[in-house]
Amino acid sequence: MRILWFVLSPLMALAVGLFFLGLSRRFMARIQWRVGPPLYQPLIDILRQFTQKSVSHGPLFDLGVVLSLASSFIVVLFMPLGGTAPLSSSGGFLVVLYLMLLGPLGIALSGGEAANPNVSIGISRKLILALGYEVPFLMIVLALMTYYGTISIGEIVAAQRESASAIASFPLVFSGIAYLLILPAMLGVRPFEVVGAAQEISSGPAAEYGGPYLALATIQHGLTMFIGISLFVNLLWGGASNPVVFFLKMLVVFAFGFWVNAAFPRLRVEQAVRYLWRWPTLIAFVGLILVATIGR
Amino acid sequence: MDRNQLMKWIKAPTKMAHKYSLNAVYFCTGCGVIEVPPTITSRWDAERFGVVPTATARQANLFLITGYVSVKTLRAIIRTYEQMPEPKYTVGFGSCTINGGMYWDSYNTINQLDKYIPIDGYIAGCMPRPEAIFVAVTHLWTLIDKDMADGYKRYRKNYAAYRANQEMILGEMEWPPIFQTEVATAITEREG
Amino acid sequence: MTNPLGTRLDATFKGVELRSGVDGRLAVVVPREAIVPVLTFLKEDGYDYLQLISCVDWIDRGEFELVYLLSFYTEEVVGGDGGKQEVLLKATVPREQASAPTATSVFAIAEPHEREIHELYGIHFEGHPRLTPLFLDRNYEIPPFRKDFDTKQYVADVFDRVPPIDEEG
Repeated sequence: MRILWFVLSPLMALAVGLFFLGLSRRFMARIQWRVGPPLYQPLIDILRQFTQKSVSHGPLFDLGVVLSLASSFIVVLFMPLGGTAPLSSSGGFLVVLYLMLLGPLGIALSGGEAANPNVSIGISRKLILALGYEVPFLMIVLALMTYYGTISIGEIVAAQRESASAIASFPLVFSGIAYLLILPAMLGVRPFEVVGAAQEISSGPAAEYGGPYLALATIQHGLTMFIGISLFVNLLWGGASNPVVFFLKMLVVFAFGFWVNAAFPRLRVEQAVRYLWRWPTLIAFVGLILVATIGR
Repeated sequence: MDRNQLMKWIKAPTKMAHKYSLNAVYFCTGCGVIEVPPTITSRWDAERFGVVPTATARQANLFLITGYVSVKTLRAIIRTYEQMPEPKYTVGFGSCTINGGMYWDSYNTINQLDKYIPIDGYIAGCMPRPEAIFVAVTHLWTLIDKDMADGYKRYRKNYAAYRANQEMILGEMEWPPIFQTEVATAITEREG
Repeated sequence: MTNPLGTRLDATFKGVELRSGVDGRLAVVVPREAIVPVLTFLKEDGYDYLQLISCVDWIDRGEFELVYLLSFYTEEVVGGDGGKQEVLLKATVPREQASAPTATSVFAIAEPHEREIHELYGIHFEGHPRLTPLFLDRNYEIPPFRKDFDTKQYVADVFDRVPPIDEEG
């Protein structure tokens, strides 16, 4: 059973991630009163990109994309997707925190090799933005670990299954709100879209990717979206007992994220950091203090 | 539109993918680009056919040259065209790219674009309406289906002639030839 | 001429000729040497906005006419004599060895205008900080906006000379 999950969960992440990419384009199109592309448009794009020729800028350019994609797949293995996670140990969550940084880092390494100024600007913006949301995110994580007394995602999910889900229980509701506030930044959608701004810096870190590289980067983007949403569902919404319910819960969070994407204009990077270090950090800090003083 | 016909996808997946994922370069040469915003936004919504603009030449496979081309722009056009990954398609938009249009006797606009880069199709008119872009896209589908959108192959095959023409107008170009002629011939023979 | 500004200009500078321009503008024709002093005078008089510098090639008379259009940033323009009217400053330079004093010392915005005129008409502006090409990418024997530049001949010589690609060969 566990062997099966080793194969199933990356495949599920891939499928759901690509589905979300297609759904997001369709979703935005409907909000903008357009028809929009078919749901399988990302598949067509990826097929087209894989069959195009491309140039490589060096060995690190090739390896960085692979590193980023591989780390995203490994993170997926640690994630209980409505069942047991294939790789779950007591320290699973800490590993996930480290591995999640490898995604942007791989893209940064790869883009750095290309020596395109737009890529460099995009990467520096991405790292600054990561600095912005990592602070409240670590506070949320710390509050959850303190509250449930464990550093395993699986045990956090199991504990929520016994009582209420975290976002519905008193001290942790602050952490939940803070997570919702930083979720667009973690997904990289509109108010925090400045990393890959197509009009200003020619899509930022992806500016030098063409052909298969772009296909891999697109898949990585889908996986990042999948991880960000599934982490929220697992940590704060009590996971799910089967993949279908898990997927439906993810869909709700996704709809929230893309509603924000459609409704808000883009923030400059210093405005984004000012926002992220003010309200989400404050609320997450209040949550952490409450958890530390009141406890369970 | 045969996007939903599964048999065609099974028979020629590459061709179908190239047909329904035409990503155009954001490159505006002349007045023609004013027709592109309504084409890609709510009024005409080109995205439903998979036609979206992309920010960089590396991610694109459709080059829409919108309007008159001055000598300085020609340099940028050639650079952008050579940066695009193959297979790539070019469409000249407006009469200026065909024969110079109303700028036929201008001191600074090249008259026929297909002397410098290969063109797969033209949209005639001054200005063509956004509908004309869709007509061009559907026509390009037909060309891709019949393997007739082969501008990039012609460029490789006749690279020496194209490069000579480019240097006639631009003088010394600051980048080396992208194909050595023998290499280009070899690739052409291998891939047809 | 009852225009107060015109009267003052007439009293201050030698060789100033006043004409009534269109749309209530005041047209002032000055000799080539008086361009900078008159511009300075007008700027001190409140004309802080140099809208454009234009050039006309009067090939039959054998001279270029430089046209400076002056206006206000802060005050509302009222046409007609006695009001706050825009001023057209005109000066002629000979076509042979055409050169004119630069206005950049008075209006910094004159820099790109003069570069453009230098590029398209071949007028040399004495004292201009950088008379490098602005738009054009090619060298022309006769600057392209001069009346004796034959565009059709040029197109035939340059662009039409490029052969079409022989796709079959």
